[in-house]
Formats: sequence, structure tokens, C-alpha cells
Amino acid sequence: MSKVREQDLTFGDSLPDPTPDARHWVIYTMKREAAPYKWAGYVDAPDASLALQFAREHYGLDEACIGIIAHEHKDASDGVYSLDPLKPGNAAGDDGDSWTVFTLEKRGGNHQSAGTVNAPDAKIAIERATAAFAGPKVRSIRVVPTARIHETTESELIIWRTHDMNYKLAKGYAKDVRAKWSRFRDEKTYEQYRKDDIAKHF
Amino acid sequence: MSGAANPVSPPDITITCDPDKLAEFEQRIADGVLIEPGDWMPDSYRALMLRMAEHHANSEIVGALPEGEWITRAPSMLRKLALIAKVQDEVGHGQMLYRVSQELGKSRDDMLRDLITGKTKYHNCFNYPCPTWGDIAMIQWLIDGAAIMNQKTLADGAYGPYVRTMNRINMEEAFHFKSGEDMVLTLMGGTKGQQIMAQDAFDRWWPIALMFFGPADKPNAEELPAMKWRMKTERNDSLRQRYVNRFAPAAMDMGLVIHVCEKDAAGLVTSKRPDEAIALDEDTGNWSFTQPDWDEFWRVIRGNGPCNAHRVALRRLSYEQGAWVRRAIGTGAVATPPAA
Ligand SMILES: [Fe+2]
Ligand SMILES: [Fe+2]
Repeated sequence: MSKVREQDLTFGDSLPDPTPDARHWVIYTMKREAAPYKWAGYVDAPDASLALQFAREHYGLDEACIGIIAHEHKDASDGVYSLDPLKPGNAAGDDGDSWTVFTLEKRGGNHQSAGTVNAPDAKIAIERATAAFAGPKVRSIRVVPTARIHETTESELIIWRTHDMNYKLAKGYAKDVRAKWSRFRDEKTYEQYRKDDIAKHF
Repeated sequence: MSGAANPVSPPDITITCDPDKLAEFEQRIADGVLIEPGDWMPDSYRALMLRMAEHHANSEIVGALPEGEWITRAPSMLRKLALIAKVQDEVGHGQMLYRVSQELGKSRDDMLRDLITGKTKYHNCFNYPCPTWGDIAMIQWLIDGAAIMNQKTLADGAYGPYVRTMNRINMEEAFHFKSGEDMVLTLMGGTKGQQIMAQDAFDRWWPIALMFFGPADKPNAEELPAMKWRMKTERNDSLRQRYVNRFAPAAMDMGLVIHVCEKDAAGLVTSKRPDEAIALDEDTGNWSFTQPDWDEFWRVIRGNGPCNAHRVALRRLSYEQGAWVRRAIGTGAVATPPAA
């Protein structure tokens, strides 16, 4: 029987050999039809299909979304993170392969998808993407070869939309908590507490 | 569970770097500009940020251990589903924060090894036992509540990758806290036995929650790197006061009594008396309270808490038993499990 099943917590003198870190993926989710994909987080996985499966579990459950994309971290090229909005410049041209463009509107914010450009390499892709997508707020541009972006299919997503998952959302408890507080606090006191909850504390 | 990153008083690292660059860096932070990975930053900033993110990541995965033990014993299907989701969230928080740490220059394997050899630490509050379901309710209400308050201030920090991760995590913490509040209200509105269970668990967790924010900062905390560089944005004592102002009246309204307790080496309460310091100062709006036992805090941080050895041993078991999976994932090579 394995040590796990026996809960055997005795150990040898040395640790097993170090293990390599897994490939690292960046995940974006789309909340509703025609909305951009927005940065959701990261997963580590050996390949794209496991990365997406993990992403569905990790990022597709607590926020209903209708699509997830993933790319390997090393496939992203980020331009400068500017203090001020980027100047679009005038890089033109349409030769080369397709690059998917993500924009960042504020430092510490989340990248979101903006469209695609064609370019022969990452540097030119960033220049062309800046010309095409640097709106009044964009402070950084990320480009990823479109061929290296992996996407969930509709059939992979559908299973998450079929049952009530309010139990894993704060709002799923709001009604019960209010009703249960009514045994201990009057409506006005509770209302004040609830408002402070959001404004000052959480 | 919830990992507040409050590594105890980060050292005052002597700053040795280009003074002009440092001045520009500090001016940016003072102006409220967030730091992104490509920006120049002092080595000591990188080192402290790594230490903070790694400590936070460790806390998330160790924090999931006591709660994970209760999944099979949850009192209903709904509570079981919620607890599974919560534990999954916490491990996910660990995964995201290890990623932030990896980008600051340390491999995940090194972090997992340092955790089990005691080179790095995790949050003190996870070294205490959870003998009843009441503890699970109190952890989610009191500790996740404290974690949200702390992490909200951390989301106000200056390091972009940590800030975006914190914002993401806080969304999930809100669920942990609300389901905790729901569980405590359920117990306190329930049978006599449920109320006693909740009170006993509250006695165990109230002082731990007070310690959660860490000991008082040094008088010049604002001038030391952690606050000057906006790695943390509020003093520990100030956070603790805001916490008490919110949770003490809520607990008392539900019928819980705030006690000052003596505990044994196993972390169980041996004697208690009502905390007579609990009172509202109408002028300041602040509640006074008895400080937790700070000697106990330091004892537990040094590794001598009720559950330190067990938590670290479970991490080690998992590291050793999971090595073959990590090897398969990391190298793509066929690997086999240890003898079944
Ligand atoms: Fe949590
Ligand atoms: Fe957490």
C-alpha cells in the first residue's frame, strides 16, 4: 500500500531528486458573445489540451464564461509598459503571419484581446499592433502568434453551463445570510453592516 | 483557506544600487504608478517581493490542508460542494502566487523544497487544529474575513503582477467569507449543541484571527522598504483595529462571547474568562480588546505550534509521492507511481 493510503509520515534522510517546472500557460476568458478575451490567470501543464482542461476547472467555473483561450507564456512578446498612453505611430504593412494582439490599459490591470495583425516578426507585430490598436488608454501591447493560441470548443464548455453553481459564489449566499441575520439584527442595522461590508472592508 | 501575506517584519535591506535609478523608482511608487516586470527595480525590491509572494503562496497551499480534512465529514451535500470548491480555490491561489514568484526568479521546485525543509515559512494561523465542524465555519468567517481585509490593502500595492493576482483572488475570497458567515449564522441560530460547538471554535480562532495581521510594526514602518515601496499599505495594528471594529460587534450580536483563553500545547482551550476589555469608544468608533498572546505567536512561528510538524510532514508526503507526476509533466517522459 502507498504511503498516502497509510498516512505514513516517516521519511528518509534526503528529498527525492528535484523535478523540472512544467510548461507555463497564460489563460484568458470571454464573458459574453463579442466581448474581448480578458486575462484570467495562469496554469502549469504539459500540453495545450491539459492547460485548457485545467483552465476550465480553475477559471471557467466561478465566473461563467463562453470561451477560454490559452497560450504558452514564452510565446508572448510584450512591448514597453508605458507610463502614458502609447503613441500609435504609423507602422503599416500586411506581410507575414497572423499575430493576436492584447492590450493593457493600466499598469497592474489585465490584458485583453483586441484583434490581429500580420507581421514577419514580433517586433514589427508590436509596431503594427500599436498603430492599429493604441487607443487613448492603451499602455502596453502584447502579441502572440495566432497559430500558437489554443481555444476551447463549444462542446468542451457546455458542461459547465448546465447546473446551478451559486454555491461557489458570494452572491449565492446573500439571501440566506440576510434571512439568518434577521434573527439577530434589525433590518436597518443589517443594511448598514452590509453596506460597510462592501465599501470599507471587502 | 486564506493566505495573507504578512511575512513578519521584512528586514531593512541595505540599499545598494544606482541612486538616480532608485530615486526615479521611488518617485514612481510615490506617484502611485505600478511596477511591471520589465521595469527597472532594485535587487532588494525583487528579493522582498519574491519573499512576500512565496510566503503567501506557501500559506495558500498549507492553509488548504486542515480544511481538506473536513471534506469527507461535511454535514450536507451543499456544504461539501462548497468546501471542495473552497479548497480548490485556495490551492489555485497558491498556484497563481507561485507563478508570480517564479517570474521573480525562483523555480517552483525550489519553493516546494524550501517549504518542506523549513527554509521558508507559511502563515502562522495554519498551525492550529480543527477538531470540529465549528472550526471550519470559524476559519471561513474569521480567517478568510481577515484575509480579505489584508489582501484588499495588498491589492493597493505597487507590484503589477501581484496586484492583478490579488484582485483575482479577492473575488474568490468573498465567496469563502460569505459561506463562512452563513455557516456561523446557521450554527448560532441552531440547537444548543450547535451553539456550544460554535462558541468553542470561536474561542480557539478569535485570538488566532487577532494575530493574523502580525505584531505591531516598528514606529518608523513607513520609512522601511515594505511600506515605502508599497508592498504593504497599512500598518498591522490599524488593520487589526478595523477588523475588531467589524467582527467583535457582529460576533456578540450573534450571541458569541469574546473570551480570553488559556490553551494547551495541542491548541485546545483549557480555561477561559470573558474579555472585559471589549468596549466601544463612542468618540473614536473603535472597540478596545485584549491583545492575543504574542509569546505564543513567536513560539508557533519558530516551529513549535500544535500542528507545525504535521502540516510540513503532509507537504513532504505530497512532494515525495507526487515527484513521479511532476517528472512526467515536466519532461514528457513516461513515469510510474511509487509502489501501490
Ligand atoms: Fe480563502
Ligand atoms: Fe486564498
